[in-house]
Amino acid sequence: MTVEIDTRPLWLIIALRALRPIFFAALLVLFIALLYMPAPAGLSPEGQKAIAIFAVCFILWISNALPLAITSLFAIVLVPLFGVLSKRETYALFGNEAVFFILGAFILAGAVMHSGLSTRVALTIMDRFGASPKRLILSIFLLAAALSFLMSEHAVAAMLFPIVFEISKGLNLKPGASNYGKLLFFSLAWGCVIGGVATFLGGARVPLAIGILKETTGKTIEFSDYIIAVFPIVIALLFAGYFIMTYFFPIDVTDIDKAHNVLGKRIKTLGKITYMEYAVGVVMLVTILAWVFLGKRFGLAGIALSSVVALFVLRLVRWKDIEEYVNWGIILMYGGAIILGAALDKSGAASWLVNSIMGGWSDSPVVVFALLSLLTIALTEAMSNAAVIVILLPVSIGLADKLSIDPAAMTYAIAVPAGLAFMFPMSTPANAIAVSSNYISVRDMAKGGFIMCVLSWLVFNLAAAFYWPLIGMGYLK
Amino acid sequence: MKKKSYLDNPATLKIDLMLRGLRIADPLVKAWACGATGIDIMLPGRTIANIPCSEGFTAASPYAIRKRGERYAITDGTGEVEVSLVPRPKFYDGKTSTGVSFSKIAQVHGSLLVITPSPACEFFNAKVECRYCAGNFDRTGKEDAVYTVEDVVETVGAAIAELGSPVVYLSIGFSRDPSGGMEFLRPYLQAIKRHYNCLTAVEALPPKDNHWIDETYAMGADSALYNVEIYDEELFKIICPGRATLIGRKRYLDALEYAAKIFPSGTVSSHLIVGLEPPGSTCQGIDFLTGIGVVPVLPIYRPTTNKALRIDPLTTEIIIPVYKHLYKAVKTKGINLNWVRDLSMVTTPVELKGLVEGAGKNVSLVDTFYGTRLGKKAAWGMSTLRRKLRVKGTHGQSGH
Ligand code: SF4
Repeated sequence: MTVEIDTRPLWLIIALRALRPIFFAALLVLFIALLYMPAPAGLSPEGQKAIAIFAVCFILWISNALPLAITSLFAIVLVPLFGVLSKRETYALFGNEAVFFILGAFILAGAVMHSGLSTRVALTIMDRFGASPKRLILSIFLLAAALSFLMSEHAVAAMLFPIVFEISKGLNLKPGASNYGKLLFFSLAWGCVIGGVATFLGGARVPLAIGILKETTGKTIEFSDYIIAVFPIVIALLFAGYFIMTYFFPIDVTDIDKAHNVLGKRIKTLGKITYMEYAVGVVMLVTILAWVFLGKRFGLAGIALSSVVALFVLRLVRWKDIEEYVNWGIILMYGGAIILGAALDKSGAASWLVNSIMGGWSDSPVVVFALLSLLTIALTEAMSNAAVIVILLPVSIGLADKLSIDPAAMTYAIAVPAGLAFMFPMSTPANAIAVSSNYISVRDMAKGGFIMCVLSWLVFNLAAAFYWPLIGMGYLK
Repeated sequence: MKKKSYLDNPATLKIDLMLRGLRIADPLVKAWACGATGIDIMLPGRTIANIPCSEGFTAASPYAIRKRGERYAITDGTGEVEVSLVPRPKFYDGKTSTGVSFSKIAQVHGSLLVITPSPACEFFNAKVECRYCAGNFDRTGKEDAVYTVEDVVETVGAAIAELGSPVVYLSIGFSRDPSGGMEFLRPYLQAIKRHYNCLTAVEALPPKDNHWIDETYAMGADSALYNVEIYDEELFKIICPGRATLIGRKRYLDALEYAAKIFPSGTVSSHLIVGLEPPGSTCQGIDFLTGIGVVPVLPIYRPTTNKALRIDPLTTEIIIPVYKHLYKAVKTKGINLNWVRDLSMVTTPVELKGLVEGAGKNVSLVDTFYGTRLGKKAAWGMSTLRRKLRVKGTHGQSGH
């Protein structure tokens, strides 16, 4: 832990500290008011309680007053306590397949990172393909994206950051001033963000969305179906991303020999590829193939966990090695979010919210789809994308039902845009890591990020309107 | 021309005494001073001064101390003023449980309890020591000369039991450690803070990175000193070759500027030694330091080792305007004066009140309050509360 000194005026610090108890007291008052006010027409008593719990969690999630996972745990306590769902039902929901899929994915990614395979792949690709300044940027961008197809985009950003940072130092790029320095870190951050939406593995949000979809409608989305639906969007965004960043920050270096010295040195220290790396690579490959071809039959979580068991049977990892890669906070958060989503749906609160708040938006599925995806992109810039999903998805699925939109399509409308956070460091850890390099300012990120947000919203909606029908998907049931 | 007498103003008397020293004729006082280089004497107005008495230059001093019945008086040949000898702390006679004498580990200087846990200063090894250095520091920095944390904590405990609430002042010589010595002082500082409710000051070297200044504050230092000693750039290079080459004057000034933003007003200071550079350049130093919120502390050079370093002539008449300038500068910049006070080795801005016209001769109620035990407890409480409010640990954000 490093320390930080708050140099704001003391009166302000004291006032802000005093705000916290006031904030929680106000939240309690709001909660009680929502619980005991006369129920509006059409809303069941359970629905009213579910909305009160949802409102409190919503405020806690967007304000970050408590860690996201703790808010989720709070939801898990409140849902059975106020009789929205029974205890048995509530805790059983935590055993959702999505939660175990996320756990398996964390462990698999941990094994790949621990074996050193991911670092080797990263270094080799950058060294082989990054022959010119332009190609080095492209290789970092595409590599970050490709790795994020397979593992959490946060883990990819964290893994590549030290390598990219060393390259920028090796090239003597001036933080804040060098365009090439900015490009290196933009390609890292945006590569991760764009790649992170391509599969279920780039982050835990898609499994979370599918978990909510399954709990509320019984439907699901297959691994391969998702990739087919989303991959062209990813390709288009990769093109757009590259052109936007090089348009705003034209390449200002000609020679990158020093970068290759850095990469060469790093590769040398790795030595030759080990048995462990081979073996973990094979397990990972088999797992992905199984997800694509056997996902329907055995379930994604089942496959993920079987691979985890295989890793331990083959003694490729020890628990101690991968423990640090498992983000228990995210697992807790997602478990709680799924419970809250189910509580809103089963109590009838979701459909009541749809009718009374969103009901008047429009009767056109295209307009509703576009508006929801826009709202998701806007919200995800400022808050956790998992929180965005848990706030919007249950209600949106209710709305889908009303407008005869396929709830699976509606799930895409929230799950995919929720990952497209380009604008701010707080939007996603990949952005935060890039800004922490000091090469990119928050202003730089907001400038390019805004255009990327608008573009990605357009691309997503165009794909939904024109490409999805070609593969047999559509808005309508 | 009539000889000028400073006896009637404690502030000027302190300056004159520190510059010229004191002859000790009385065998009792001699015995009491016990061979120390300076003796602590309480002048009128509760002004405490550590007056040189054994260095060669003191033989020419007009001042002598005499016993008058049960009391003592300092005379300059034209008159005399009653003073009292500051009693030698009793805890000096005690030892730690490992047998180290408390007086070896800590020395009381006014309100400060000065502790130097390690006598090492690597400037000596690199042969770039400060040219005025009195060599208090063991030049080789032998391992066995380092006092353990337990010994230091015991010593502080004994001192607090006797003196109430002294400010524990930890100092360290130069090392190549990027923290400026704070990594070494950390266990001492934290242990002292854990055991006692006392204020602490650290005299260290400017660290390589400012985050060490944050750490210094967070680990419990209530005050920080990075002593630039000489403001004039050229003289700094000549007189402090180690500081100039291995740290750099700019780093001193930058670190002080940053520290003044982190620590409370009036708690970051830097020595500017009077007598090693022209008074004009000391005044420039005062202006610069006060401009960045730092309290300049002006010790007077005691030529024990290198007489040639001292500017000549150096008289109290030349020095007094510098001290007046110091008082006016800290007052104009609104720097809190309650931290740097009651120091025997230097004249502090609070003591200079009586020197500057229109500054009000009387010690204010607040000044008096902070001098009392209760005042010191209150200062400790405020300082601790401030640290609690200001220091934040940064944790990794788990976002999406
Ligand atoms: S820093 Fe300078 S004055 Fe202090 S001990 Fe080292 S050489 Fe002597």
